[in-house]
Parts: sequence; C-alpha cells; structure tokens
Amino acid sequence: VAKTSLTSPPWPEVKLPDPGEEAKHHAEVVQKVNRMIAAGQYGRLFAVVHFASKQWKVTSEDLIMMDNVLEAECGDRIRMEKVLLVGADDFTLIGRPLLGKELVRVEATVIEKTESWPKINMRFWKKHNYQRKRIIRNPQTVLRINTIEIFPCLS
Amino acid sequence: MVVLSAARWVRSRLTDRFWRVQEVLKYARHFRGRKNRCYKLAVRSVRRAFVKSTKARREKKKFLRALWITRIGAASLEHGLKYPAFISNLVKSQVELNRKMLADLAIYEPKTFKSLAALAQRRRQEGFLAALGDGKEPEGIFSRIVHHY
Repeated sequence: VAKTSLTSPPWPEVKLPDPGEEAKHHAEVVQKVNRMIAAGQYGRLFAVVHFASKQWKVTSEDLIMMDNVLEAECGDRIRMEKVLLVGADDFTLIGRPLLGKELVRVEATVIEKTESWPKINMRFWKKHNYQRKRIIRNPQTVLRINTIEIFPCLS
Repeated sequence: MVVLSAARWVRSRLTDRFWRVQEVLKYARHFRGRKNRCYKLAVRSVRRAFVKSTKARREKKKFLRALWITRIGAASLEHGLKYPAFISNLVKSQVELNRKMLADLAIYEPKTFKSLAALAQRRRQEGFLAALGDGKEPEGIFSRIVHHY
C-alpha cells in the first residue's frame, strides 16, 4: 500500500525499554535511595507542602505567613501532613499526589497571630456622586518550619 | 430656666480641618507635582490611586499566573518539551503541583525540574503507544485495494 500522510502517526516512533529490565533498574534505584536515607547522606531537605489551600516550598528554619486564622495558640507545634514533594541534593521523592505520612514529617510552630496592614477597597463611579471606601484588615498567622525528616520506608 | 433650643448666635466651628486634610495628604506624599501638596488636586489623585489598587489586586492574580506559565514553558523547552505537553502529562501522572510551585522549582531546583520533565516525557510516550493500540483492524472490517482501470 502506498505511503500517505496518514499511514504513520505524526509523532516519531517510540520504543519503551523492556519492562523486566526496567523493573530491576527501578528496584535498584529504590534500594540505593533507601540506603542513602538510612545513612543520612543528604544535606538540606526541601518539601512542597499543601497548607491553607496554597502550596509552599519549604525548608527548615523557614517563615510562612498565612492570610487566615489558625486554631492553635502561639507556641503550638504543628505537623503538616499534605506533602507533595520532598527533595535533597541527589534525589527527589515525588508524590502522586501526596507522599505517605510514614515517609515524611514536617513540623512547624505558630509564632505570631496578627492582622494585616489596613488595605483600602475603594469604588468610584464618575459623574454619579458614588464613592465607597472600606478598610480591610485580614487576620494573619506566622509559622516557623522547624524540621523536615524522611524515613527509609520506600518499596 | 430651661433652654430647649441652643442659642442661635453660637455656631459650631470646624476645629480639626488640619487633621482631616492630613489624612488624605499622607497617602499622596510620594506623588509627583502639586498633587502631593495641594488638597484639591490630592483628593482626586488619591481617590484614583485607591480605585486602581483595588482593581489591580484582582488583575495581579491573572498576571502572576501568566508569568508562571511563561516561565514553566521556557524551562520545559530547555528539556525538550513544550508547556502543554508538560502540564497535561504531569496531570495525567497524578502530580498535583501548581504553576507557582513548578515555576519556583524550575528556578531554584533545576535537578528536580529535570526529573519532572523526564516523568512527563515518559508518560507522553506511553500515551502515544496506548493511542496506537494493537495495530490490528477492528472486527468485521476488511481492507482491500481497489484498482480502477
């Protein structure tokens, strides 16, 4: 049959590696990373945490400010459970979508609970003698991330 | 003697005009020209400034998202993928990182971004193979070459 523009798909032909060899390679990599974590051969860890409906890239000794109220007193320790990604210099653990709770532990302390600076909301229509001014102060909470820990329970 | 109405020759005088004017001028101190000194001009400028800042707070979200998208597209091009392919394949692989995080990772964690690009590339190839299917014809259909003479 003659070759037309539709005989072969528009993307280049793709060959995936052999599944058996791939599985062996994956197991090797997982064991290597497990050994590295168990031996503690990582420097500073960073994590991507989903908190207060936002995602934050977080390391230890980091300050985070949320634009809402947290029901915890100043000085309370908090564990953040929705961790999407943890990384060090040589390896990253990507969660699909979240990482397990027995794999990562992110601890934070509530430092400060204040209000934001007075933001001004103004509406004005010209030639209609209409103007409204409103001052908004949002409650804010400041957290300090104390530690990020990982445990060697990969499989 | 009971006085039911205040005496008519005592009028109330405005005593804190200075402070009322300063309340408006304090927001205009960094403006250019006479509108940072003269109340009549400053009132108009300050009102426009407040309205613009209110509207800009809503535009900022759109603007930042467009910025993140450009940055992620540029970073994924460095690894041989375009932005739509990258994002769609990440979403299909159930990685729920949002665009702000992806842009930050692309700037500050290049190795992590490279691994995400590799993940998206692999998922893309698996998608191509799945789209091709078995390579056989569907049931009940046969193909035949027709010769026209």
